[in-house]
Amino acid sequence: MERWWRWRSGSEKWVPWLILLLHIVSILIFTRGFLLTRTELPFYSHCSDASQSPCFSSSSSSNSSRCWTKPAIDRLVIIVLDALRFDFVAPSTFFEESKPWMDKLKVIQRLASERGSSARIFKAIADPPTTSLQRLKGLTTGGLPTFIDVGNSFGAPAIVEDNFIHQLVQNGKRVVMMGDDTWTQLFPDHFKKSFPYPSFNVKDLHTVDNGCIDHLLPTLYEEDWDVLIAHFLGVDHAGHIFGVDSTPMIEKLEQYNAILEKVIEMLESQSGPGGIHENTLLLVMGDHGQTLNGDHGGGSPEEVETSMFAMSFKKPILSIPYEFHTPTCEQDLDGKKFCISSIQQLDFAVTMTALLGVPFPYGSIGRVNADLYGLVADTLNLEDARLENCQNQSKLEQWMQNYVNVLCINSWQVKRYVDVYSASSVIGFSHEDLLQIADIYAQAEENWSHTKKSLLDKNECCDSLLPALKRQIDLYVNFLTSVAELARSKWTEFNLNMMGIGFGIMLVSLLIHFLAIKRVNKQYGASFTSRGDSGISFGLICACFVVIIRASSFLSNSYILEEGKVANFLLATTGFVKLRYSIMKKKMLLEAVVFVLLITFCRFSIEVGLSKQAATSQFLNESTSLMTSIASGLPSWTLIAKVVPLLVLILLAYLLYKTISSRSCKGIWKYVIMGTILSYLLIAVHWASESSIRSLALVSNVIGRNCIPQIIYTIGFGQLLLLAFGWQFNKDKFFDGKENLVIKTIGMLSAWSSVVILLSGQQGPLVALASIIGGYCIVRLDNIEQDAKDNICDVSAVDPLSVTQWNLLAVCLFFCTGHWCAFDGLRYGAAFIGFDEFILIRQAILLTIDTFGFSHILPIFGLPFLVACQYMLSQKRFILVRLSQAYMMYGLITAATVTVTMLCVTIHRRHLMVWGLFAPKFVFDVVGLILADVLICLASLFCFGQVEDDVPKS
Amino acid sequence: MSTNAKVSAAAEAEAEAEVVCVQLMLGLVLPLPLTLFIAHNLYSINLLSHPSLTLSLISVIQCPIVLLLYGRLRKNRKHCSYLKAVGRGLLGLPIGALVNALGAIALGAPVGTQYFSQTLNWSLMMSLFTIVPAATVFGSSWKDWQRIFAHTKPMGSVDLIICLPAHGAVIGAWFGAWPMPLDWERPWQEWPICVSYGAMVGYLVAMVASFGCVAVRARLQHVKRE
Repeated sequence: MERWWRWRSGSEKWVPWLILLLHIVSILIFTRGFLLTRTELPFYSHCSDASQSPCFSSSSSSNSSRCWTKPAIDRLVIIVLDALRFDFVAPSTFFEESKPWMDKLKVIQRLASERGSSARIFKAIADPPTTSLQRLKGLTTGGLPTFIDVGNSFGAPAIVEDNFIHQLVQNGKRVVMMGDDTWTQLFPDHFKKSFPYPSFNVKDLHTVDNGCIDHLLPTLYEEDWDVLIAHFLGVDHAGHIFGVDSTPMIEKLEQYNAILEKVIEMLESQSGPGGIHENTLLLVMGDHGQTLNGDHGGGSPEEVETSMFAMSFKKPILSIPYEFHTPTCEQDLDGKKFCISSIQQLDFAVTMTALLGVPFPYGSIGRVNADLYGLVADTLNLEDARLENCQNQSKLEQWMQNYVNVLCINSWQVKRYVDVYSASSVIGFSHEDLLQIADIYAQAEENWSHTKKSLLDKNECCDSLLPALKRQIDLYVNFLTSVAELARSKWTEFNLNMMGIGFGIMLVSLLIHFLAIKRVNKQYGASFTSRGDSGISFGLICACFVVIIRASSFLSNSYILEEGKVANFLLATTGFVKLRYSIMKKKMLLEAVVFVLLITFCRFSIEVGLSKQAATSQFLNESTSLMTSIASGLPSWTLIAKVVPLLVLILLAYLLYKTISSRSCKGIWKYVIMGTILSYLLIAVHWASESSIRSLALVSNVIGRNCIPQIIYTIGFGQLLLLAFGWQFNKDKFFDGKENLVIKTIGMLSAWSSVVILLSGQQGPLVALASIIGGYCIVRLDNIEQDAKDNICDVSAVDPLSVTQWNLLAVCLFFCTGHWCAFDGLRYGAAFIGFDEFILIRQAILLTIDTFGFSHILPIFGLPFLVACQYMLSQKRFILVRLSQAYMMYGLITAATVTVTMLCVTIHRRHLMVWGLFAPKFVFDVVGLILADVLICLASLFCFGQVEDDVPKS
Repeated sequence: MSTNAKVSAAAEAEAEAEVVCVQLMLGLVLPLPLTLFIAHNLYSINLLSHPSLTLSLISVIQCPIVLLLYGRLRKNRKHCSYLKAVGRGLLGLPIGALVNALGAIALGAPVGTQYFSQTLNWSLMMSLFTIVPAATVFGSSWKDWQRIFAHTKPMGSVDLIICLPAHGAVIGAWFGAWPMPLDWERPWQEWPICVSYGAMVGYLVAMVASFGCVAVRARLQHVKRE
């Protein structure tokens, strides 16, 4: 018997570890397939780099004045129209039927039709994720921003990678920006002048646009800039609110048409010889498209296809034939032939830098687009006087030679990036891919050296060069295309096989979890239905129902958005079920009612949290007005808001004090709890000083501000060490199991609580009190059944409904504390309580404790209460069996929801909100699950510490 | 003698319940759609355009029917006159409304001045579906309340036609709340429109079901007696 027990308890002990392992493996595999990651390289291109490239032969290296390419334009005007669909710009003849929103930007169509050689419409193809921030990043870096760009930008969106704007500034170009303030977030100190306007209020169609209009024309007359960026948001906002087929949208487009007419007229008037816009390129472009509902973010053609209009104000000498691409041509409205070429957004940064004559961004993987490059007249004026000898060489040939030169530098730069990237990032490209790319590159280079030789050699027979140049261009384009394809497959395409395997492993782990629970039940002769009473099985059905409903609610983006409310709704439902029980048994009515009231309280604080979310993530909600009006109310309110947390904190300390004085708690546990009381007092002092010190000297403020939290962290850490020490060496055999367990749990909880409360800020004590009351109610209500049974069957299963409630309460607490499943929901401020400087690991730990403190750490360490407070008479081993059961159920509930989240992101991987909503939810859930698993392992280790020593003797 | 009398009284009550049940079917099941129809055609209001008005119209029409019909089923006929039963039913109306409103708020119904009239009218309607019938029939008999709402063990036809519709309305309203967070942006997703629809559908279905149960019971007893 003893041996059997030993074996069994041993096998039980490794179940959590096995589950943890399975979860980690599954999530790692799934994440490899789903969350595409890319490492940002901290390198920058410099003018001098180009000398390392094979493209400048020693003979032509005399040109010290030029950088990588010869500047072809002097000034650049970029007008970004956010969410500009392709069919806003292209003539309606390109589409099956004419829609009301088409042909509104008439001026663009007219110019593109009249001056095909210097003005052209492009179909610009973006890469998902098609959200403005990622797109601007992609446009300026020439790379493929993924969901997680591993880099130095922790918390701040500023682009630290090498990019177009950085290169401009480095090379002495002056950049002026107006419009969407995302630009100033991305480039905080790059602009010479900027006129940012807030972009987050989707309902405001005009502020940003009017701001742009006010500044655009006056700035165009000025001479103190080289690149001008004007970002209009009206179309994006009109789409978000009214959809594409709406009058506000059409009005916006007509407004833009008028503005563009003025801008072009102005530029035209100044484009004569000697004018300030003699050599200016105008770009009108979208950053991404939008669906008919105005959504964007995903990879559907409507969202990915945007357009770009480019116009050079200098007449080009020749029109580049459509040899390098296949444009789509249709009759336009006047019956003329109208051609639209296409360009990848990836190519934007490198083409623009080539035109402006600055180094290409280091991480760019685009290629210089022939059409856009050829649109500009000056790309033809080669400096090589030698070529003038060859009178019969066509201008086309000159241009091509120049273009090949640019492509050569371009290919060299891309190759350099690919090599460095694979060498320095954790997950680089695969070896075969690299070899293949290197092969193509070597081939192109070899060919180029031959061609160059023949170029130098030849003097008269120029005709033979044309095919050679064309072949060379093809080779380079081939190289650049294959790199872009490889990068796309690496950074924008999901690996369904891996996702499938990960999901499968997750399902297996669920099965193991379930079987483990079953086995424990069987071995102890207890099962959910053994009571014979319908009550317990009803609890099981109820629990399953709630868990399944909650899990399946994740299949819809709306429910994920309102997850807090959904969890609260379900918690309230279980609360009512319990209330019904307590009426049935005529017992503990007070607890049931208090629990329902507590849920109501939770509900309001969740709504406050959701209103914050709405304010930051553009999902504006009407129902938030009430909360904000309360929050910004009377001055006495702020005083109450300051005093109440302190009072509650003191109350908590008092509760702990009562615990140590009433219970016969000894030794280590007593010191741990006393440490917590000390911490609470320190927190109170800290907050009091923080609120009042503003009038006092700042010096003492800085010291006090950091000193007290650091002391608290130290105390907390010391308490944990003490607990670990106690677990290792202190075998208290004087207490019966239950008493011991309760004391241990209180010790553990109190050790964590001080840090969690400190990080949560003023709301911390209130939430802590709420969770204590909630936990107490759940524990008490769980006793209804048992008391009624008069402890007849000692060994019975834990009520799954109570565990479900515990879990739901934990989820609610996550939202109550003002968190939500998005990265802007992280409270970065909490990471800097007590510290001024940033150290990644330390701050990450603090942030994790803040984020998951109330929702994972405290509930999981507090779960033993649910078991320990249940039976009046109980043997220790039964308690421990029940405890492991409870932990496994808790783990199963968490894992089940995460599994459905994984399924959901798999289904919705092409959904337009996948990067905005599903992916953050997935990341939060997965991190939460791993954390929960680890905590469960630690907690069971902590609680079962003495079983093996005690039980064989008993 | 006394047992005989009791049996006969019980049988009488059963018979009465059956009769009332038929009346209830006609009196409760029909008016609901009828009210919506009238509201739509006569006053040209509906739940979508004027939720609180329509709800109050439903309550106004339902209230007398519920009180008068359930009053006939009152327990303890000797000590309780018809008028008293109706009176306690009326008293139960605001109390039930309060209970329903508090429950809805705990579950997440929006709170605020602009929602006040909607919540009020909705909870009055819910009270008519759930609490008022029980209050009319049982008065303040805690045991009966407990049997109906906590144990859900209806005994006899009277219990059935109180218990089933009340639970049906509550469960219907619970399910009716689920479409609310979806981003379809339809007008009926507003509080309390879809919840009211859910409650009404649940109520009607449960009412028909209870009618079926009562009919089956009557048939069985008839067979037994013969």
